[in-house]
Amino acid sequence: MSLLEIAHLTGGYGETDILNGIDLTVEQGEILTVAGTNGAGKSTLAKAVMGLLPRASGRIALDGTDILAEPVERRLALGIAYVPQVGNVFASLSVLENLQVVQGVRDAKARIAELLDAFPALSERRRARAGSLSGGERQQLAFARALMARPRLMILDEPTAALAPARVVESFERIRALPALGVSVLMVEQRARQALSVSDRGCILDGGKVAMLGAAAGLLADERAAALYLGRAGGA
Amino acid sequence: MFGALLVAGIVHGLIIGLAALAVTLVFGIARFPNAAAGDTMTAGAYAGLLAHQASGSLALAGGAAVAASGAVSLLGYLLVFRPLARRPVASLLVAAIGVAFVIRAVLGLIFGHQQQVFQVPLAWPIEFMGLRIPPMDITLATVAACALAAAFGVLHLTSIGRQMRAVADDPDLARVSGIRPLRVMIALWLLAGAAAGIAGLMLGVKTVVSPEMGWEGLLTAFAAAILGGIGSPAGAVLAGLLLGIAQEVSTPYVGFTYKIALAFVVMLAVLLVRPRGLFGRMEGVR
Ligand SMILES: Nc1ncnc2c1ncn2[C@@H]1O[C@H](COP(=O)(O)OP(=O)(O)OP(=O)(O)O)[C@@H](O)[C@H]1O
Ligand SMILES: [Mg+2]
Repeated sequence: MSLLEIAHLTGGYGETDILNGIDLTVEQGEILTVAGTNGAGKSTLAKAVMGLLPRASGRIALDGTDILAEPVERRLALGIAYVPQVGNVFASLSVLENLQVVQGVRDAKARIAELLDAFPALSERRRARAGSLSGGERQQLAFARALMARPRLMILDEPTAALAPARVVESFERIRALPALGVSVLMVEQRARQALSVSDRGCILDGGKVAMLGAAAGLLADERAAALYLGRAGGA
Repeated sequence: MFGALLVAGIVHGLIIGLAALAVTLVFGIARFPNAAAGDTMTAGAYAGLLAHQASGSLALAGGAAVAASGAVSLLGYLLVFRPLARRPVASLLVAAIGVAFVIRAVLGLIFGHQQQVFQVPLAWPIEFMGLRIPPMDITLATVAACALAAAFGVLHLTSIGRQMRAVADDPDLARVSGIRPLRVMIALWLLAGAAAGIAGLMLGVKTVVSPEMGWEGLLTAFAAAILGGIGSPAGAVLAGLLLGIAQEVSTPYVGFTYKIALAFVVMLAVLLVRPRGLFGRMEGVR
């Protein structure tokens, strides 16, 4: 059974549908990249899975249980975590407070110690205000905050968008390491080629529909995908 | 002379600071200017007055003020502001003015409109470093300092306080961090109400208790909240102190009538130089 199963998903913010019938799965232990042009509905899809979209219909199931009607809190408790595209840390709180403030975590002290071990840069700056962190540190904190509740599925919305180019590679390496920790990943990325190169599968959204879906290597080699959505090889 | 005015200014400033703290907390977390904060103070002053008349104890009066203002504040949230959540700021402001009128009318009906005073025993001033300080000022300043320490302790040392600051910082991220909005809002309104209650009690002891006292002090509290950088609790308290001292120290020069206006002159002067206030850090408030 797929970890996440999305079927005939439609929805949007107001009257108009932004998502127009999406079918997609995320398997246990996999990284799936969602690419597509600006405004294709990538962030909207991410929000729908987290329960943040005002209106959605169809099916979203986690481990076979339909969660479409569940509120955000319930989805968090079921093991979904979300790192938004912007505003992914509490800038006025300290690094430590950003982790402490996450609710619904069993044995939070031990979990914080684990995460500070896993992110030594954060451990060094645990008393610093999150707003004073560098882009790379800030992203590590955003990941650590999302990992607090020991999620099984992490939704990342453009994790590298705010990073300096020099930090992008290490960021993708960090994402590549997540499945080994028991965390599957649904990642929205503009840097589609680099994202696909650390992913198992990829999907391309266009106009709120899945235009292409397949193995990451296959998409990278596909001429039509390259021409329409991924930009030239070596670019992006 | 200057020293005595300075002491009076500090006490007055602590009152403004507590009221501004109530305003700025609500603004930072619930995101609207709570025009009912002044009348919440008044409710605390009357509760304190009753408790003081019955017991003669200022400590009990403080407890009663905190309880009454906290309850009024929470009721205002549950009955009015919660149903109106996510409405435009202007609607919430108008609703808050309505709540303020209701509180004032109820207090007027129960207690009448004549001014009442706390019967506190007269005591000789205490000589300290050449200053003659009324013992009541020392008591009030101590009460205010304890109240502020408690408020900042809640905000910075407790889990619910951290959650409140997280919601103030980014409500959407707070939601996906599992923070439950209702709990945070209840804590917010209780804390803001308690701060207003202590402010009301102090104002009542220093001046007179009347149904209009809080409403009349509201603009000064708003001025301090803005001056401190709206949404910044420490800024609100420091700006309150600054305005309180400026008002008292300038009284011999500008006279009693204009000392209220002075708060606004100071506020405007600072805002021209620093648009986000002295300690401003809240950005992107809707
Ligand atoms: N909060 C919102 N309210 C109303 N419409 C929105 C909102 N957010 C996005 N939209 C609209 O939904 C459509 C899809 O937006 P979405 O953010 O999902 O695109 P995206 O694929 O993530 O694009 P980008 O690459 O720019 O991040 C756009 O037409 C956008 O204008
Ligand atoms: Mg997006």
